[in-house]
This record gives sequence, C-alpha cells and structure tokens, in this order.
Amino acid sequence: MNELTDQGDRRRYIGWMYGGILLGLLNTFAVATYGALGVSRNYVVTDNMALEAAGSDLPQTNSYLSLYPGAVDWLYGIAIGMVLGGFLAALIYRGFNTRTVPRLWAERFGDSRPKRFAAAFAGGFLLLLGARIAGGCTSGLVLSGVAQLSLAGLVFGISIFASGVFTAKLMYRRLS
Amino acid sequence: MNIIYPATAQSTDAAGIIGGTDFSAIAIGVLTGVAFGAILLRAGASSFTLIVNMLRLKNLTVMKFFFLAIGVGSVGMYLVDAFGTAHIGIAPFYLLGMVVGGAIFGAGWAISGYCPGTSLVAMAQGKIDAALTVLGGLVGALTLALTWDYLEPVLVDPLNYGSKSIPDLLGVRPLYVALALGLIAAVFVAYLNQVDRRNGIGTGGRLSRRPAPRITGHQA
Repeated sequence: MNELTDQGDRRRYIGWMYGGILLGLLNTFAVATYGALGVSRNYVVTDNMALEAAGSDLPQTNSYLSLYPGAVDWLYGIAIGMVLGGFLAALIYRGFNTRTVPRLWAERFGDSRPKRFAAAFAGGFLLLLGARIAGGCTSGLVLSGVAQLSLAGLVFGISIFASGVFTAKLMYRRLS
Repeated sequence: MNIIYPATAQSTDAAGIIGGTDFSAIAIGVLTGVAFGAILLRAGASSFTLIVNMLRLKNLTVMKFFFLAIGVGSVGMYLVDAFGTAHIGIAPFYLLGMVVGGAIFGAGWAISGYCPGTSLVAMAQGKIDAALTVLGGLVGALTLALTWDYLEPVLVDPLNYGSKSIPDLLGVRPLYVALALGLIAAVFVAYLNQVDRRNGIGTGGRLSRRPAPRITGHQA
C-alpha cells in the first residue's frame, strides 16, 4: 500500500504537525539570533573553498563567486549542522538508509544504479542552477522568504511547485 | 537590525559574510543546523518517496509540514520583530529570475527527489543518490557563476523591483499580515489533511503509536 512505502524508512516520523511547529519555532529562533534559515548559498561558498584549495583564482576574478567569500560563517555553520543533525538523528532513530535506488524510482525507471545516479546528479545541477538564479531555494526563499512576507519568495514558491508538480506528473504518469 | 540586501542587482541575495565568522556565530549556526537537519529527517522531508509523492499530489505529508512551518515561522518572526530585534531580510524581487529559476528548480526537485537542504540530510543518512544530488548542485552553482555575466542582464536586471515585501505593497503592518498568513496556512493545511484522508493517507499530525512497518529491499 502507498502509505506503507511512504513510511518505509525503518523508524517513526514525528508527524507533520509537530515537525511543522518545531521548524517554524526554529526559524523564529534563527531570525532572533542571526537571520533566517537558508541553504543554497552555501553551495557557492563550498565551490569557492574547493577552487581556493585547488589554487584557482576564480574566487577573486569571477564576478559572481567574488560576492560569496569561501569562509565559514554563521550560515555555513547551518549547512555543517544539517549534515551533522541528519547523521545524529539517523543514529538515534535508526534512520540510516543506504539504498541506492528508491523503490518508487525503480517501479517507474527500473533498478539501474547508473541511471538513478545520473538523474540524481542532473536533478541537483538543475536545483542549484535555478536556486542561484532566483537567489535562494526551498529554505531561503520559500520557508524563510514567504514567512518574512517577501514577494520574491511567494512568486518563486508558486513557480517551483507548479514546475515540480508538472515534472513529477509527467515523469510518473504511467504509475497509478 | 535588518539584513541589508543590495538595492541594485549585483548579487541575488545578501553578499559577503552572513552572521559573522566568530566562534559563537558559527557555534549557534551549527546547532541551528543540527536541529534543522534532525527536524527535516524526522518529518520525512529527506525521503525521496515522500517528496516525489507530494509533487505527484498523492501524499501531502511534507507539504503540510512545510506550510505549517511557514505559518508558524511568519507569526514567530514578526512577533520577535514587534517586541524585540529580528534579523529579517527581504529578498530582491526580479520577476524573470523568480519564474525561470523556479521552473528550473522545480524540474530538478522532481527529478532528484530532493532539494538543496534535504539532499544534505539524506546524504548524511547514507543515501548515495542524495550525495550525487549534492555533487550535481555544486556543479550547478559553479555553472551559474561561470555564466553569470550572460544571465544577469537577461534574468536579473530587467523587471527588478528590489526588496519588495507584501506588507509594503498592502500598506499594512507586517505583524498583521503575518497573523493573516498564519491563519491562511492553518486553514490550508487542514484542507490538505482532508485531501490526504480521502486518499487513505492516515499519517495524522500526532506521533504515530504504531511501529513503522518493516519493509525489506528498496526503501523510501
């Protein structure tokens, strides 16, 4: 049954209501301390760190990269914390899951690992390309942006849901 | 104190250092991130299946979680703003970038089954495809940087209205708009929950007392 596979990670979820209230309170805490939650900018900062480590001068010369210095600041701490928090929560709630091809994907596209990995990479490419054009992702522009009542977040939010639903319906149209 | 966003479109969000690089700033950032990551995982937002089934409109669990978080966050932030100091930053609004960037993002969302934040969490719980999404994201961000000089004049500069907030446009005090948004979010989430119930998704808002079903092989 659909519901069972959706709950397939071998642990219990906390439920959308508790989760939503907790995340809203966390974002309130973030705004009370340093600023609203955001993630996508950290990908640019990480690129800068990697380029600097490789001895490239792009972090200084590129018009876009030079705006986001490759330094660990409060916002970058959030990205580090998310990886740590995901790991700790997986440890505590037995949430580790080393599956390579999600079952739903396999039902529609087969269980080829290279195919799934290529799609996951391409999807990530599009995610950050789109997010950095708009200046934020689901976190910074929608979760935080709409909560902060920005017009940008509202329009971006409508756009990502419209495109996401369209793409998902198209991709999985043959599944019931 | 508000975060200063550029009036002109040199960057798409606040440039430079955010929140400081001193120990306490980074420590609070990391702790905030730990809570963020743990909540995303425990709410099911790092599950490929729950994300894709949300976008297929088959299971709205993550959508309810997300919209409720927006409503609670909005009321919370503007209460802090009304009675203390809130670090609120209104992102610049440039129509083409929002629509085109959003359309590209949405496609990537459906294809990968993650977003930039949830892929970090899913990677941390051992999902290898999520690690590839993170890698793809790093390459995507770099590609944007390398093509920025061509894209900015087309997508960011035209129809750029700078920082525009909904309370400004309405001429209403932000806290009132936040309270209205909180109410709208509550009603909308209740409606989504009815849709889920009709579709036989009985996850509810409460902590499930049933043990999670044991499933072997491929998992969410």
